[in-house]
Amino acid sequence: MTKIQMNGYEDSYVIEGKMALPYTYFAGRVGSKFITTIRDQKKIMGVKCPACNMVYLPPRQVCDKDFTDIRDKWVEVSNTGTVVNFTVVRYDDKHLPRKAPFVLALIKLDGADTPFMHILEECTIENVKIGMNVEAVFAKETTNTILDIDHFKPAAERLSVHEINAARKQWVPADEPDTQEKRRGGRPDMSKPVIITAALTGAATMRNQNPSVPYKPEEFAEEAYKCWKAGAAMVHAHAREDGGMTTHDHGRIKATFDAIKDRCPDLIVNLSSAVGMGVTPEQRISQIVAIKPDMASLNTNTMNFGIVERKTGKIFIDYVFENTFTMLQDFGKAMEENGVKPEIECYDIGGLDNTLLIGKQGIFSDPMNFNFVWGVAGGQAFRSEAFIAMMNALPAKANFTTCGVGTDQYPCIMQSCILGGHMRVGLEDNTRMPNGALAKGSYEQVEVAVSIANALGRPVATTAEARLIMGLRKR
Amino acid sequence: MDRTAVIGVGMTKIEKNKVRETFADMMWEAVNKALDDAGMTIDDIDNVVTTSSDFWDGRTISCMAVGDASGAAHKNVSCVEGDGAYGAFYGMTRSLSGSYKTTLVTGHSKGSQSVSSLITNSAFDPIYERGLGMDMITACAMQASSYMHRTKATPEQLAMVSVKNHGNALKNPLAQLPMKITVRDVLESEMIADPLHKLDCSPISDGCAAVIIAHESVAAKFKQKPVWIKGVSICADSFFFGDRDLSRARSLTEAARKAYAMAGIKDPKKEIDFVELYDAFTYQELMWLEEMGLVDDAMAGKLLEKGEFDMDGRLPVNASGGLLSGHPVIAAGLYSMAAVVRQIRGDAGGFQVKNAKTGLVHGLNGLGGQSHCVFILDKDK
Repeated sequence: MTKIQMNGYEDSYVIEGKMALPYTYFAGRVGSKFITTIRDQKKIMGVKCPACNMVYLPPRQVCDKDFTDIRDKWVEVSNTGTVVNFTVVRYDDKHLPRKAPFVLALIKLDGADTPFMHILEECTIENVKIGMNVEAVFAKETTNTILDIDHFKPAAERLSVHEINAARKQWVPADEPDTQEKRRGGRPDMSKPVIITAALTGAATMRNQNPSVPYKPEEFAEEAYKCWKAGAAMVHAHAREDGGMTTHDHGRIKATFDAIKDRCPDLIVNLSSAVGMGVTPEQRISQIVAIKPDMASLNTNTMNFGIVERKTGKIFIDYVFENTFTMLQDFGKAMEENGVKPEIECYDIGGLDNTLLIGKQGIFSDPMNFNFVWGVAGGQAFRSEAFIAMMNALPAKANFTTCGVGTDQYPCIMQSCILGGHMRVGLEDNTRMPNGALAKGSYEQVEVAVSIANALGRPVATTAEARLIMGLRKR
Repeated sequence: MDRTAVIGVGMTKIEKNKVRETFADMMWEAVNKALDDAGMTIDDIDNVVTTSSDFWDGRTISCMAVGDASGAAHKNVSCVEGDGAYGAFYGMTRSLSGSYKTTLVTGHSKGSQSVSSLITNSAFDPIYERGLGMDMITACAMQASSYMHRTKATPEQLAMVSVKNHGNALKNPLAQLPMKITVRDVLESEMIADPLHKLDCSPISDGCAAVIIAHESVAAKFKQKPVWIKGVSICADSFFFGDRDLSRARSLTEAARKAYAMAGIKDPKKEIDFVELYDAFTYQELMWLEEMGLVDDAMAGKLLEKGEFDMDGRLPVNASGGLLSGHPVIAAGLYSMAAVVRQIRGDAGGFQVKNAKTGLVHGLNGLGGQSHCVFILDKDK
């Protein structure tokens, strides 16, 4: 320590000191694994809370939201991510790892929900902005610290679905004079945009199966927005009460519908005409007539619609889903008269035939839009040849999309996309991702559908294109 | 619940560098001023709560080192590590405990003796964050940019906070930086960490403050008219920055909501007359006002432009000059509390606001306002 006489004060001096206290910081078992995985495998790991689905970075022992023990719930996140916030450090100081000016950023890695801090380099400071894509650059020599990621640098630009769509020619009906012929000839049109639908909730999926299932109108709106952003042109929704029960209450359904429309005015909203068990036909259709969504589901046959354990065949819920010819006729008429395009739900090829039979009355306007549903306990399981049989039975101008319950989901949408049809995903049908992990929301499944379209070179339909293709009324 | 009141306050002048004063010198001055203000002697004080931080004090177990000058000899003395408002909260609970009737709460700080950025850097997680060089300034710069990104608040609006508060300080003889400056002066001052200019940041300061909190059974026994604590709450948010919405202060909204409820306030926009809040950086004044529900979301900048937060405006904010005009870390919340007490008693002097019946005191702790403390003080019991 040095004494220094203070200038101008003969009775005062100061002592120059330092609080330099050695300390050993245990990184914790969680922190140790995080750092050593970066060091040895160049992989960045987070932890995922099984209760709320949050993927945390940095990893930690306990979920900050719900006090769940998450220390062993490792998931790998991407080495790339997005800048959610940053500052430019314009001063030099002992504790700073770089000379000023340099950028410190909060970076949300793809696959993580919480951003973490790091240095951003190899870029012009003026060009740094919120939302830019960045990737990790690993250190050449390890220090066994967070600086084993040396820094982040700008990543090659990845365009969003919307950016790609804005840059391409928009599809018009004239681009496709003879769809049916092409389809029959086994040469589906890969240049035709594929419509991705997200079924946000059904009547059955609950929060205990996936905590991201929306219940409140504002939750539907947020989920719908995320799905639209990811590439969905349509959402299908069954309104819920705050506690998660299905509802046929007009006010609640309208509030849910309006919340989605307020958040995403362009998005096509498809409501259900099957609003839970034990409701009357009048209750099922009156809400559609009252709200007049762009589309609504129209069910085509009376069938078992149960919950049966797949492995053992044990029956949990035995329920007959009533859809008589009269209901098919009356609901179909009511929808067409009110400008609501029916989405015709076929749980097997018989339902398709029912529709064609009743349709001889001239109820349905072209193009008819069919949805092939797979995997309901009471309906058909997904088989490729059954899919093709149904497709070949369609009327000439009809469109088809498909959805599958549980593990049927991804195979059936992929087949539909290959054959020139459309794709429906969402938590109504399946709570999981292809790797078996819980989906963070329907939007994550939309991302999978987009990647299928990308792999096949099919453009993803904008909402405007989807309206043209399916013959919906204008916004 | 029993009530408590603030019955005495004392502060040193806030200065850049109190060259010839130790912590004990400052403490002696503030405590004696508070005792004089209350019309009490040290024997009337039942117990003492000090607030300090080991690193700002440059010593460990720092709470034990200023006991003599705060008159804590032979008394029950305890310490709060954090802002003075948190010390006042603990002091209040002691006066409510039944064991003590009067509690002296002190806070002291000599920023001039330490390097704040090194201290705040050490508050970050040692495994994941510290090595990256984060400190309070960079943390708050990120928060400022996320707040501006969300609310569209402009750099000019932030600068106007600095202009207003430094201008208010011209009326407060205890303030460190009374200045007549312009928006342009702020925007042309050195950029420290984008988007914060030097004049968007509070200065390094030295100062000490003391308040005396009494149980209702003795509150009227002494010289001063008691200023009643009607409501108070503390709430904390997540530690890691990425876990929070940085553009929001969820914990402040919750703390304010609870404090209003306790004080029986139904419409804080109408019932709070004036505010002293933690403006360590300009954006914080706007953000905290919105998060406390005192103005509509994303509107604070526009209302500031209209002069609503001026000393003679609809809701005077930081009439004392706030922390932008002098920021003795740790003591800060007690300075704010003392300013509100003086306003309600009508003896704030040059910075007295009109109709000061119900005032709000705000203190915070942690990086980027992780935790917030809200007091509602009132002329009436």
